[in-house]
Amino acid sequence: MKKIFALGFLAISTLAAHAEYEQVNLTVFGMDCAPCAHAIHVSMKGIQGVNTVDVDLNTGLVSTKLTPGNGAAMRQFNEAVEKNGFTHKDANVIVRGQLTGSPQAPFLEVTGTKDRYALTPIAAGTDISGLVGKTVVVDGVLPQSGKGKVPDTLRYKSVTEAK
Amino acid sequence: MTCALDVCLRLIWFDLELFMKYPMVLACAVLVTSTAFAADHGPVFSYATPVNSERELSFDTGIFGRNGSQGTQLSTGSGFGYGVTPHITINAFLPASFGSGNLPESRIMSGTEWSAGASWRFLHSVTSVGKRIESTASLGLVVPGPQPDSGVLGSLHRAPGVAGTLATGLASRSQYVWVGAGYTRFADASNDRRPDTLSWSAVYGYRPSSLRRGYDKWDYRGFAELTGEHTGAVRSNGVILPDSSSTTVWLGPSVLAIFKNIAIEGGVQGPLFRDVSESVYGRERVRFAINLSYLKYSSHTSSH
Repeated sequence: MKKIFALGFLAISTLAAHAEYEQVNLTVFGMDCAPCAHAIHVSMKGIQGVNTVDVDLNTGLVSTKLTPGNGAAMRQFNEAVEKNGFTHKDANVIVRGQLTGSPQAPFLEVTGTKDRYALTPIAAGTDISGLVGKTVVVDGVLPQSGKGKVPDTLRYKSVTEAK
Repeated sequence: MTCALDVCLRLIWFDLELFMKYPMVLACAVLVTSTAFAADHGPVFSYATPVNSERELSFDTGIFGRNGSQGTQLSTGSGFGYGVTPHITINAFLPASFGSGNLPESRIMSGTEWSAGASWRFLHSVTSVGKRIESTASLGLVVPGPQPDSGVLGSLHRAPGVAGTLATGLASRSQYVWVGAGYTRFADASNDRRPDTLSWSAVYGYRPSSLRRGYDKWDYRGFAELTGEHTGAVRSNGVILPDSSSTTVWLGPSVLAIFKNIAIEGGVQGPLFRDVSESVYGRERVRFAINLSYLKYSSHTSSH
């Protein structure tokens, strides 16, 4: 019995360790000057697991890469923008998580966070039904959400089984 | 402008009533909060809209000078700001002056009054990458500092006052435009009263395309700053001093240089228009300011 619990715990731990945001590239509106970018840089770096941050003032693109095993949630990235008085638009993300739901209504659950997204394809013709129940890596776009909110839909470009 | 002033006046009277009803509020305001002053990383003389980020601590220090035919007045001071929310900043400004200029009251240029207040960015419209349209109102308490004034104002008993400002404008990667106005009213003290001051400003800023660079490089922009002030009459021992009101308009350039969280700015202004009694105040010729800002941003984020 103990072995079953241990195996179960190991499986959950492994799943958690492999479910995370790998890249979050946010478009931010309203940054006009160097301190704006610096403020965003400091705030993003304050999110546990964020490894590198790059801010391009002319395009408004804030690119972050995260370390494996991080537990960062999307809400934290949005808050990092909002607390500095700016507005976040779409976010391009590469995220690893478990594909749940059904082939008709798939969901991505980012284990270790409360983030759960309904998956919809950007382009028609992508079949991900065979991946339900598996750990996957999704490259997609999170549309703009209201202040303090996280979108509930992730529009994916690609979904691949995680190695 | 009329509408803006009306709002300012209403805010000020609301504030006065509040302070009269609740002395504790007054005490807290003196200790904790303050009026927004131009500085930080905006224009050096004019009113502007930026406020601190949430949990951002800002520190300003600088030298502000006024030179006239009856002497030079210099003041230095320290300003502190703290972002309570992304749109509300509380701040305090504690100047110290030296020199012996006999010059009219000014709220654009710092004098000897300590001030504390709060700024609220009540309109914040982010329209595109790098562009914002916003409006900020500030309200604060002005109290006499430990140093006496010089000249005509130096002989007056001093009492606290309230100051309200309103600024609105646009910030972008290339251009900045802000207009603002402020009003300060002092209370009576032993039949003396410092003059009420109405001040206004308009500023245009430009960052050339070659300087729209990455944030890890120095960020420069230049401003043309137009400021104006009308000060009411000085009352001493219950008697209005003849010719003690003044109206002046000033114009001049300023430059702001920023590297990440450190900003240095400087500017100079000359008079465009003066309606000032030279026998009372002399002839003010030039105003200048140099300001250094340090901005400490918070890395705090909530856990999920």
